[in-house]
Amino acid sequence: MLAGINRVGDLEWEIPIGYVPGMRVPGRFFLSEALAETLEEGAVRQVANVATMPGIVKHSLAMPDIHWGYGFPIGGVAAFDMTEGVISPGGVGFDINCGVRLITTPLTRADLAGKRRELIERLFAAIPTGVGAKSSLRISNKDLTRVMVDGARWAVERGFGTEADLARCEAEGAMSGADPDAVSSKARQRGVPQLGTLGAGNHFLEVQAVREILDPAAAETFGLKEGQVCFMVHCGSRGLGHQVATDHLRNLEAALSKYRIHLPDRQLACAPIDSPEGRGYYGGMVCAANYAWANRQVIMHEARNVFAKLFGIEYDEMQPVYDVAHNVAKFERHEIDGRLTEVCVHRKGATRAFGPKTLEIPREYAAVGQPVIIPGSMGTPSYLLCGTTTAMQKTWGSTCHGAGRVLSRSKVKKEVLGRDVREQLAGEGIVVRAHSDAAIAEEAPQAYKPSQEVVRVVHEAGLSAIVARLEPLGVIKG
Amino acid sequence: MSFDELEHTADLRLRVRGATLEEIFAEAGRAIFQAMYGRCKDRGVERRIELEAENLESLLFDYLSELLFITDVENLVFCTFDVQIKGTGLTAVLGGEPFDPDRHSGGTLIKGVSYSGLEIRREEEGYVVEIILDV
Repeated sequence: MLAGINRVGDLEWEIPIGYVPGMRVPGRFFLSEALAETLEEGAVRQVANVATMPGIVKHSLAMPDIHWGYGFPIGGVAAFDMTEGVISPGGVGFDINCGVRLITTPLTRADLAGKRRELIERLFAAIPTGVGAKSSLRISNKDLTRVMVDGARWAVERGFGTEADLARCEAEGAMSGADPDAVSSKARQRGVPQLGTLGAGNHFLEVQAVREILDPAAAETFGLKEGQVCFMVHCGSRGLGHQVATDHLRNLEAALSKYRIHLPDRQLACAPIDSPEGRGYYGGMVCAANYAWANRQVIMHEARNVFAKLFGIEYDEMQPVYDVAHNVAKFERHEIDGRLTEVCVHRKGATRAFGPKTLEIPREYAAVGQPVIIPGSMGTPSYLLCGTTTAMQKTWGSTCHGAGRVLSRSKVKKEVLGRDVREQLAGEGIVVRAHSDAAIAEEAPQAYKPSQEVVRVVHEAGLSAIVARLEPLGVIKG
Repeated sequence: MSFDELEHTADLRLRVRGATLEEIFAEAGRAIFQAMYGRCKDRGVERRIELEAENLESLLFDYLSELLFITDVENLVFCTFDVQIKGTGLTAVLGGEPFDPDRHSGGTLIKGVSYSGLEIRREEEGYVVEIILDV
């Protein structure tokens, strides 16, 4: 472990005040001994930098998928006081509400026999993916405003899904507080042609089978059975979200001197929550988040149609388990010193993991806690977990969002060929389809920490509890 | 003038050098298009950008963000960057071609330009800047 960091529990570490000048609170992160080898000084410094931000409450946190990003580390979580605190695009990222959705089907592995490649090819044909991908959907500027306000509901009202889908989304697929006036015409121009597109990089649609159930009661509540085929959609708010982040980051960077905020990293540019700049960013960010929910809704709809047609099953037999956001700032009520208090929680590359009996989760999940979806990396398993009371107490109801990278894109491309990765995965029975082998190489399983170990840490640290393990059968990559 | 990719776990980190400010702006543009699309040929498509900012770093942020915007909305891929800088104002003429999925879809999507460590430094032989781009 790096010098200057203290161990405060089996899986819990503290970065003391003073690690970088100006820290207001300590940093806290969760990591096993095995994963400690992967910890980068740059990521620790970023946790410490976040601790210098005005109004931060209790700790600057990082989940076990922590890695070096910009501004906040990836896996970073922080809550800010509503009066003294700030809101920052650096705590959300450029891909606002990048998130993941898990959908069950009535199929079993055996039903896919002989059809797996055709299924992946059909999904690849139905869902625009990769750099430069454009949607076949034609929406007007007025439609786009509704998308930004109503999120997934807009898509359902247009026939891309059912009313029941909405309850299975974090925030029911639309946060309140959207301000379309805080979205520039540039962001709109990017948003119109991209609704229903997957994007590129680490975004994917993966077909999976439930390999093992570890918590039968919770699995039953979430509708999962051993051997069952599911699919998972991972994508975000596309160019609209990227532009909202760019525009407001620029705005807030220029406003730092106005609020006399001094930061060790300009990417942490921020403004008081209740300031024109802070409110502007929040209103624009909500628009982008809602766009992302509509985007995943449309993609899920297209995938459902592919499954229905190929396997002769009913559309309604495919139900979302849940849809979680990774990159978002939200106003939430948490217990601080025995009192429920509203704070602004930033999660950048982290997943909400609200525990049992919390108000914001679907009623049918109340006894279990919200579903938490942790994707693997093409060749490694994905997990369904549930939120916990410990997460509510320690991490503002947050957990990790994935495995977390350990190798840069350039390094992994030097070490492996995309073709070899594709062939190796094919040998393991996993069909991968992408526009280029380079895109596959960048996301090769060896570029990531083992998902099994990351999930073990969150489970043993009590930040979420494993419900089921899913194995990949096929994936379309952005 | 040149650009190198530096190690960064999650994103794309570039170091760009140039004898003049114009060169580092041009080279940074070339770098992001190479990362996104690989090959590009000037087939006569031209666009012009004019920008004004309060300092050079913000000008670079705005310029690169504008390139990402144009390529996303107009489906254009650029390979020549003729940049003129006066004070903290910029005029750039971009040359390139329309996006062609068969030739250009093998790259990395860049989502945005970060301010992390963004500082244009004057060195003995010219200018240098490091840029972290979200991919």
